[in-house]
Amino acid sequence: MSRRRQLAALVRKDLRLELRTRETIVAMVLFAIVMMAILQFGFGTRDDDLTRFVGGLMWVTLAFTAVLGVGRSYVAEREQRVLDGLLVSPVPRVVMLGAKAIAIFLYMTAVEVIVIPLVGVFFVQGPYWDAIGWIAIAALLANACIALSGTLFSGLALFTRARDLILPVLFLPALVPVVIAAAGATHAVAGGPHDMSEWRGYCLFLLAYAILFSLVSVATYDAVFDD
Amino acid sequence: MHAYGERRAVDGVDLQVDAGERLAIAGPNGAGKSTLLRMLATLLRPRAGHLRVLGADVADDPRRARAGLGYLAHDPLVYLDLTARQNLELYGDLYGIPDRDGRIDDLLDHVDLLARAEDPVRAFSRGMAQRLALARMLLHRPLLLLLDEPHASLDARATALLDRELGAARDDGRAAVIVTHEVERVADVADRLVVLRAGRVVLDEPTAGMDARDVRRRYEEATA
Repeated sequence: MSRRRQLAALVRKDLRLELRTRETIVAMVLFAIVMMAILQFGFGTRDDDLTRFVGGLMWVTLAFTAVLGVGRSYVAEREQRVLDGLLVSPVPRVVMLGAKAIAIFLYMTAVEVIVIPLVGVFFVQGPYWDAIGWIAIAALLANACIALSGTLFSGLALFTRARDLILPVLFLPALVPVVIAAAGATHAVAGGPHDMSEWRGYCLFLLAYAILFSLVSVATYDAVFDD
Repeated sequence: MHAYGERRAVDGVDLQVDAGERLAIAGPNGAGKSTLLRMLATLLRPRAGHLRVLGADVADDPRRARAGLGYLAHDPLVYLDLTARQNLELYGDLYGIPDRDGRIDDLLDHVDLLARAEDPVRAFSRGMAQRLALARMLLHRPLLLLLDEPHASLDARATALLDRELGAARDDGRAAVIVTHEVERVADVADRLVVLRAGRVVLDEPTAGMDARDVRRRYEEATA
């Protein structure tokens, strides 16, 4: 049995489900837009320049949006106990982890394609579009961190009765370093004069976090589902 | 052995199911039938003791056991928002089935769902969803069928299909373990009856020569 075939099948399944139901990504985008509007009003009027806060505003919005998306990541498996069908099949648990992480990564990326440009509209009055490529690179690294940690914690929460409560309690603290680094990287290129060495430092931190969480996930995921 | 907290749901069970044998497990509610079946399906780990499925120790090599298992549960274990075909394609890829598409067409035809192959399962009746579950279970030609109350949720058409499959399984040398409340059916679908009570085996005997009334009588004696 080819792991690549199994991985592709599981990712394709998640994307097919999302294309058919359009529940997760649409909800995440709407949530992010509403949150940005709330932050905009909370920080003052449209005339105030929030450029120097852009990193924090973007990544606080995306972190809560990620909690929403990750919280929905196993909804289809819980319905009709489909998860049992997957667990009885000879799929290595690490392949299940990888497939779910790829799906969450793609959902986050799809949301950011809309949200990152909107952040410029909501919060930034200075030059922003020049930095969008650098922001996108940091966002992809942050997405990897979110996807890997989110998959692990949503798997842990899956077997608890209070899963809707447990997931944010576990997941949000794990997101704090990601938010700090991603906000720092965004601020370095869009919050004022470009500081590429600062951007590089934050991106390296995100890369290290993603590698660390992938190792932790690989080491623990069997136990999450089999014990 | 398996326990939920302090309560031992399955305790001291010592069973062997041979190739071609169809074993029915019956017992009152809470007897440990479904827990035992979930252990055989590798969904629950034994807390103590040894469990070998299709020659593989499930603690050491669960994937080898899983490759040969077919599991039919109360729920059809298919995605409601995928079509019948998409569900079978998914499971076909997970089990690494060669000639996946041909096999899927054959099975959809077999369970009389070929005409509805492109419809989402959410639009299916309960009976149709269970027929799809039957196709899902048979897709990878499993050597051991594990069935949890299979007749409880099947319509007449699906029941006939399942009974035919159980007959074919015996003829092909495949084994089946059937958890059931409907002890009257045991004589028709199983070669051996095991009765559990409070997690322990209280009856284990062949059903050869028994009719539905005999099975019911032996069951009531064992659980009295």
